[in-house]
Amino acid sequence: MTWFTDRHLFLLAVLLYGASTAYSVSLWRKGFREDNRINYFLLLAGFCLHITAMGLRGFSLKHCPVNNLFEATMFVGWAIVTAYLIIGLVARLRFLGAFVSPVLFFLGVFALMPALDPPHGPKPEFSGAGVSVHAALILQAYGAFGLSAVAGLMYLIQEHNLKFNKLQAMLSLLPPLQRLDVITFRLLRNGFLLLTLGLGIGTVVLEKHGGEYFTDVKVLWSILVWALYLALLIMRVKFSRGGRRFAWGAVIVFAFLLLTFWGSTLLSPIHHQ
Amino acid sequence: MSIVAIGLSHRTAPVTLRERFAFDHARIPATLQVLRDSRIVDEAVILSTCNRVEIYAATSLEPAQAFAELYQFLITTHDYRDPINDEIYRLAEPHSVEHLFKVASGLDSMVLGETEILGQLKQAYDLALKHNHTGGRLNKAFQKAFNVAKHIRTDTNIQRGSISVGSVAVELAEKIFTTLTDRNVLVIGAGDTSEKTARSLLSRGAKSIIVTNRSHDKAVALATELGGRAVRFDDWASEFADIDIAISSTSAPDYVIDRVKLAPLMKLRKNRPLLLIDIAVPRDIEPEVNLMENVYVYNIDDLQAIAADYLKQRQKEIAHCEQIIIEKVRELLARRWPGATAAT
Repeated sequence: MTWFTDRHLFLLAVLLYGASTAYSVSLWRKGFREDNRINYFLLLAGFCLHITAMGLRGFSLKHCPVNNLFEATMFVGWAIVTAYLIIGLVARLRFLGAFVSPVLFFLGVFALMPALDPPHGPKPEFSGAGVSVHAALILQAYGAFGLSAVAGLMYLIQEHNLKFNKLQAMLSLLPPLQRLDVITFRLLRNGFLLLTLGLGIGTVVLEKHGGEYFTDVKVLWSILVWALYLALLIMRVKFSRGGRRFAWGAVIVFAFLLLTFWGSTLLSPIHHQ
Repeated sequence: MSIVAIGLSHRTAPVTLRERFAFDHARIPATLQVLRDSRIVDEAVILSTCNRVEIYAATSLEPAQAFAELYQFLITTHDYRDPINDEIYRLAEPHSVEHLFKVASGLDSMVLGETEILGQLKQAYDLALKHNHTGGRLNKAFQKAFNVAKHIRTDTNIQRGSISVGSVAVELAEKIFTTLTDRNVLVIGAGDTSEKTARSLLSRGAKSIIVTNRSHDKAVALATELGGRAVRFDDWASEFADIDIAISSTSAPDYVIDRVKLAPLMKLRKNRPLLLIDIAVPRDIEPEVNLMENVYVYNIDDLQAIAADYLKQRQKEIAHCEQIIIEKVRELLARRWPGATAAT
């Protein structure tokens, strides 16, 4: 059944994320008071297709499918949707789907661009458990940063409404600002720990192979992303700068990450094989 | 046998009249016994609250005759001799049952959609039931009324949102703070509305109350009443580092809190969120304070606008609720009443 590939399955998953996004527009307009079960099941159905697509790709490669941008983006999306489905088991938090689905849809459309999924060469330059763990940890970190940005976005919406659109704030089902602030911080902190660990393992793998890799664009870009998140955490912990600025930071740094991830990967000889 | 209702409420009678017709709760069982002994009714429940005095009864008499007898009973029981007529309403089936359902659902309450009346109605019914003054008809009607009230409460928006300044303030605080249990409240100016608002916050678990007022004695009196402590008016700013919610209602002609004064205090608070409720006219808090990070200012107009909007939404729901009630009453009356096991 070669005409029906993992990419087709993933396309179906993205279509479901798109349907969820369209449904979410009405939820946003109605202040999240609608029953979010529909959204939850749309994302659950998308998740099933998504994980099947990843499984097919993984079995065909015989290793963790994170070797090109399509696979990496698919992995980040998977981390985000999995986290949402777990959080969404609590009925009153299910409305988060209205924020998660546009992110998943955007990531999915991005991942499906044909140039991001070139045929794999006969043998990657780097392989083995260390590389898989390095890639999986970093992509999970991106997933955590994505969710942190989602929580930050919710904070900014609710904060703006509480100041300038007061009735809308009262009608909204969003959690209290303090809780959103804490969720944004914790996700970002956990993402940072995963990223640090992932980069550390990457360094060990590179050193094993010898050579100078610190001029590689993706390595430099990773250090920049790591430093940006570190700065955000210092701002928050050391200077008590929570709230609006921290939420903006989480959203802006993740947007930067999303927009530059593909470019840095394409420019990196050791990541783009 | 049919169900009739007779009585007066906040819609038809002023409080001076309602209090004249109020029943002493301890005497209600005896009054019900007198009413049934008079053979006017077979079953009866008396509901007597600050907003209404009503008798719900199942009677074999023609409604017109039953109303005349019940009216006379009400007048005689309360020894009322002044002219009265329009203030007392008389409802026969199906309107009597519809009215019972509306009362249970809070649709006839002064505060639309409130739930206190349901508890009071249950108490009135339980009292009559306990003393065997109800039978098949009223039992069915009241049970159905309680079911309908629950249905309306859960399936419509009639109880959604807060419609008083105090409860809006609490709801706002819950939109900002994860929990109110650790929150410290500062009351600036010992006014009536600020007291009510502080009480609302305390009832939701606020940790402590600090009261300040130009007249320190008043501050002490209110602080004692609220279980908090008083500070001198010149010293309130020193408390700001630990405050999460401030309610201001002084009669000061100028701003009590402005941006210049608040900026250094926010640094002391390590930028924790601060909810400022300004219920003074003229306002106590400079509006630009709302532009500061982590500060949320609500004045009396904001609170009243939110309360009014909630009320408007509740009013929009009335038609929906009434439709539900009409259907449920039709359902109830269409069924054959069980052989009325009249109370003994």
